[in-house]
Amino acid sequence: MPMKAEFSSRKDKTTCVRSLAVGHQYSSVASQPVLCSSIPGLVPKQLRFCRNFAEVMPSVVHGLSIAIRECQHQFRGRRWNCTTLNDTLSIFGPVLDKATREAAFVHAIASAGIAFAVTRGCADGSATICGCDMIRKAPSGEGWKWGGCSEDINFGNMVSREFADARENRPDARSAMNRHNNEAGRMSITEHMYLKCKCHGLSGSCEVKTCWFSQPDFHKIGDYMKDKYDSASEMVVEKHRESRGWVETLRPKFTFFKPPTETDLIYYENSPNFCEPNMETGSFGTRDRTCNLTSHGIDGCELLCCGRGHNTRTERRKEKCHCVFHWCCYVSCQECLRVYDVHTCK
Amino acid sequence: MAGAIIENMSTKKLVIVGVVLLLFQAFAFMVGGLIAPSPTTAVHYLATKCVDNQKGHQEGRKWFMPWGPNQCDKIRDFDEAMAKRIEANNIVFSVHIPLPNKEMSPWFQFMLVILQFDIAFKMYNQIEDKAFVTIDVSLAYRDDSVSEWTEMAHSVEQRKLSCNFTTAKIKENEGRYYECDLLPFMEVGTVSHKYYLVNVRLPVYERKKVNVGIGEIKDIRLVGIHQNGGFTKVWFAMKTFLTPSILIIMIWYWRRITMMTRPPVLLEKVIFALGISMTFINIPVEWFSIGFDWTWMLLFGDIRQGIFYAMLLSFWIIFCGEHLMDQTERNRFSMYWKQVGPIVFGSFCLFIFDMCERGVQLTNPFYSIWASDVGTELAMAFIIVAGICACLYFLFLCFMVFQVFRNISGKRSCLPAMTKARRLHYEGLIFRFKFLMLVTLACAAMTVIFFIISQVNEGHWHWGDYTVQINSAFFTGIYGMWNLYVFALMFLYAPSHKRYGDEQASGDQGGTSGEDIQLTTTITHADGPTEVYRMMGKDSQE
Repeated sequence: MPMKAEFSSRKDKTTCVRSLAVGHQYSSVASQPVLCSSIPGLVPKQLRFCRNFAEVMPSVVHGLSIAIRECQHQFRGRRWNCTTLNDTLSIFGPVLDKATREAAFVHAIASAGIAFAVTRGCADGSATICGCDMIRKAPSGEGWKWGGCSEDINFGNMVSREFADARENRPDARSAMNRHNNEAGRMSITEHMYLKCKCHGLSGSCEVKTCWFSQPDFHKIGDYMKDKYDSASEMVVEKHRESRGWVETLRPKFTFFKPPTETDLIYYENSPNFCEPNMETGSFGTRDRTCNLTSHGIDGCELLCCGRGHNTRTERRKEKCHCVFHWCCYVSCQECLRVYDVHTCK
Repeated sequence: MAGAIIENMSTKKLVIVGVVLLLFQAFAFMVGGLIAPSPTTAVHYLATKCVDNQKGHQEGRKWFMPWGPNQCDKIRDFDEAMAKRIEANNIVFSVHIPLPNKEMSPWFQFMLVILQFDIAFKMYNQIEDKAFVTIDVSLAYRDDSVSEWTEMAHSVEQRKLSCNFTTAKIKENEGRYYECDLLPFMEVGTVSHKYYLVNVRLPVYERKKVNVGIGEIKDIRLVGIHQNGGFTKVWFAMKTFLTPSILIIMIWYWRRITMMTRPPVLLEKVIFALGISMTFINIPVEWFSIGFDWTWMLLFGDIRQGIFYAMLLSFWIIFCGEHLMDQTERNRFSMYWKQVGPIVFGSFCLFIFDMCERGVQLTNPFYSIWASDVGTELAMAFIIVAGICACLYFLFLCFMVFQVFRNISGKRSCLPAMTKARRLHYEGLIFRFKFLMLVTLACAAMTVIFFIISQVNEGHWHWGDYTVQINSAFFTGIYGMWNLYVFALMFLYAPSHKRYGDEQASGDQGGTSGEDIQLTTTITHADGPTEVYRMMGKDSQE
């Protein structure tokens, strides 16, 4: 199927939901291994991967959950707000069946999330196979002692590529689109790595300097991907006949725009407007969504409710106030009663 | 120092020596670039959040392992801690160095750890101005994966948070991280154990305002830096090879000087001292760090390097002074106090600074002079004074070089009027100075250029199938270069054989080749630079 494990076509989506559900289950106990056979719907390649790299699977799953959280954060005020369904098997609903911008975004951020979380997982020691031993061989064989290890991000990207791209190997347009968007997601991480250096030469001078790349805050990746979502390129499908049969490729729809680069998102089907619930397109509609009365943007009541108008009710909420915070675990607060006007779409 | 080998050498021989030295130089670069790995490695560590369930500590410290057997009770984030009602004082951030399936080695030479906090922005829990984090840190080691941990150090330290939040401080941006400066965490001078364990606590005492107003710390990240084993091996090999080379030439040089009838002049002594300080750096005492737990090795290395730099700078000043070609007689170290003073004082400042930083770290590896305000000011004061001394020195040096060149051009104008022998003598003197000037400038330029390249570049170049480690090439190449510089200096500026042989005979010998004319034959009296000055005196009378 063209899409990645989690968000692939109707039948496969089961997979994703399940794997994410497993993820939530395991998230609090990182050391506990993920049972590969308990995740339904993995293609053989993914299953093999899962067995070989069992110890990075918690990170993969964690990566998917931070990706979803970020998606919901980025789209919080939009008609499509990255809603996930808890009670059905397909986590995002049918919206990802079509090759829309939304699908492009979800794929990109999910593959970025996997790369991000695996790289992070390498640093806390929960995965032992990161970095050196598998990628670079030093002359003496003792790679670590001779020349250290390569950057963990390469390993993270490798895992993401192996896992998320596992089923994107068909010659159709959807596969091509997903491959491109997955790669764009991973590129966004690599591009946002920032360099930090420490001088430790004579008397701490910069005669000797060591630099390393650090991963950015994942919110930064989210912001960037959101920009890429807004500027995603629309493509058209072209069919060629090759020796192995029909092959579908994508080319930019509008020749007067710049063609998409490796970091841009691509799609070739238009999104539904997400105003009314439509199970066919995966739209949940905006009924009962909270809107912002004062905003003129997409989160404003006018646009979000698609002109249907809104209801207003007054809510009294008990809130914590005058709090004293500690860095962890302890907040001493008073309780205050506040009154809010809540606007929801009709 | 009249009549050095360099003056009496034929151009052909000089070219041969130059080519041989250049070959060695290229070899030094290649050893670093092609054989050695990059000089250092940085490893990321993410602290695991462990829960200390024991109420009150019985029988000593308990160590918390982030993974492997006997690992601690973990929590994933602090919301979980909040739900379970765990107090901040019972949360231990644990980092095992190195990562699983690896072990540390004495070949890593040193271990330097950087601290980074991930602090999330919260509208009602922001980082206050001038916030200090108080950390309770302890370090332990063990040499196999089953035995008990042995405590190495324990300390309560303060680190100043300097963080800024780049996006707008609004509710929507809650949960984004501050951008915080790197904080020094720990420095250990030897890596004599296989496994290290760091346990960090962030205790909260509300009454004493300890760890209050430091924002919402989400994670602690450490970056461990150590020298690569491969680089250490190449480096040791290089030192082991260079030590006898410099030592031999040094002995040869001193023997030549003692064979002369006159006592050695200042410049000769300074060159000899330069050779000693070079040998001092070269002697591979670091071999002992493989077997012994000598934490002072890092400090000792700094001191050795400092002595060499001070010696090199003093040499340049004295060399210029001795070639000034004016009537003043120098030849005494006390003549140069004005120029050498700043060097000594600057080096002394840096030494004190180093003692305050790396010296204290011998007893407390978590100490950093930069952590406290007073320490920072003190450190800055030392560095600024050293900087001023350096500027002063370079002003003196430039002025002296300018003086020498002025005198040279003055001499050159009256060269044609002199007798042939004297003319050749002056030309030899000028040549000697200009040669060193050129070589020194070339060396300094090489150092600067390579320094810039290694700073700007990512550290390695891919060249077909080969990976060239620029940083390692820089270290071995520059180190080799200054060794060759000292080597060449001792070889070329040693007194010529022809000086203390039969003067008549040497004169005849000199006649055999165009460049080999023995200049000093026309002057019938003693050795030494005094003669040069006397000649100059004569010259000016003429």
